[in-house]
Amino acid sequence: MRKHRLIATLLVAGGTVVQTRKFKPTNAVGNAFTAVDFFNGWAVDEIAILEISRDRSGVDRFIEIVEELSRRCFVPLSVGGKIEQAEDALRYVRVGADKAVVNTAASDRPELIAEIADAIGRQSLVVSIDARRDESMPSGYRVVVDCARRDTDRDALAWAQEAVERGAGELLVNAVENDGDKRGYDIDLMRIVSGGTRVPLIAMGGVGRWEHLVDGIRLGGADAVAAGNIFHYTEHSTKKAKEFLAAAGLPMRRSSFYKVALPRRPKYRPF
Amino acid sequence: MKKVAIVDYGLGNLRSAYNAFRCFDVDLNVIDAGDRLADAHAIVVPGVGSFDAGIRGLRARGHLEALQRRVVEGGVAFFGICLGMQFVFESSEEGSETGLGWMKGRVSRFPDGENFPKVPHIGWADVRVPRPTRLFSGIESPSDFYFVHSYYVPLEMDGAAHAAGIAEYGFEFAAAVERDNICACQFHPEKSQLAGLKMIENFLGAL
Repeated sequence: MRKHRLIATLLVAGGTVVQTRKFKPTNAVGNAFTAVDFFNGWAVDEIAILEISRDRSGVDRFIEIVEELSRRCFVPLSVGGKIEQAEDALRYVRVGADKAVVNTAASDRPELIAEIADAIGRQSLVVSIDARRDESMPSGYRVVVDCARRDTDRDALAWAQEAVERGAGELLVNAVENDGDKRGYDIDLMRIVSGGTRVPLIAMGGVGRWEHLVDGIRLGGADAVAAGNIFHYTEHSTKKAKEFLAAAGLPMRRSSFYKVALPRRPKYRPF
Repeated sequence: MKKVAIVDYGLGNLRSAYNAFRCFDVDLNVIDAGDRLADAHAIVVPGVGSFDAGIRGLRARGHLEALQRRVVEGGVAFFGICLGMQFVFESSEEGSETGLGWMKGRVSRFPDGENFPKVPHIGWADVRVPRPTRLFSGIESPSDFYFVHSYYVPLEMDGAAHAAGIAEYGFEFAAAVERDNICACQFHPEKSQLAGLKMIENFLGAL
């Protein structure tokens, strides 16, 4: 029985967690440490943290944040943003990332995928693909990069297949128009990519109700479902989302409670 | 305070294992040379990577000999995680190097193909507990643990005889083994939230 994963996504710009709408940061929602602590305690299956600033000036600080977060994160942690060479991905792994997420630089220079896969293993490499509906493309979707600021000539499905061929262990797929829009995932896009590739697909972008998570899996064929914005405003949000998915009949991880004494668990250190 | 050694053999991400073990009241050290394993009360071999590169890394740093001496002759508690579990067996389909050979059996690769689930196996899976063991003490059967792997220990030979946890991915395989002072698991307790931390507590609590 395959279990589906619920992934909480944190977008960080300039050291703060932000929300986005159609890939543009809207408002800051706070501190990454408190967010991870909540998610950690609330049954989330995985955490993804992505640095989305326009320039590289915040990278060193982001690395410090990742390092601090990883000390208190006992679910898989995926880290992305500003990866331009294999060494950047390795740097994230060295400070505690379990997976690296690459997007724009892979599309600009596809050899990078194999280079990162060689450095950290393909099981630890997530290739992230942002797409926009475009009827002129064979699959009906065009790949966009640079937080949707730049169009490419790539077809979304063809690029997904090429990325897997080159060494992607998982695909994270987001539709620009749905991002932050609360209308649910772009199901057509998810179905096209999940039907045409054989690595786990993580659906992202647009969750406004728990039903959207179910649709991503049932209709979109996603293995894992990710959301960001929605989790910031609901108490015990990831737990409720998991319960909703389980009640819909989908196999999810049960989050059993065990009392474990962690006398030296690092204390929250404000940045 | 008990001295716990995390074995560094030059590949893989030790950080996650280190982060989890350091939450407990032990004297935790990352050890990159076999001669420094002499005074450890427990030895942890974590790691994601390839079998041959891992064995070569262990050999190059003098860990192979030290592990035989400390774990087999000295009876020091051993905990292998992921690739660290695969080392415990005699060989692997992934390479040509010889494993530690503490348990009999050969590590196999998940089959590729339309009739099988996707490889690598990434994600949470039920682990059922076939018998009482130290590792799974107080952990309900089944419980979810986090897996990332393409190779597995089959339920044959010692993989069956010493199975402490059994998971399924297309078919059943040994998710954890335990025999005397030697325990190992294919999944990542350091990334399996409370169930995983409970398992680490069980291991350290028995020292």
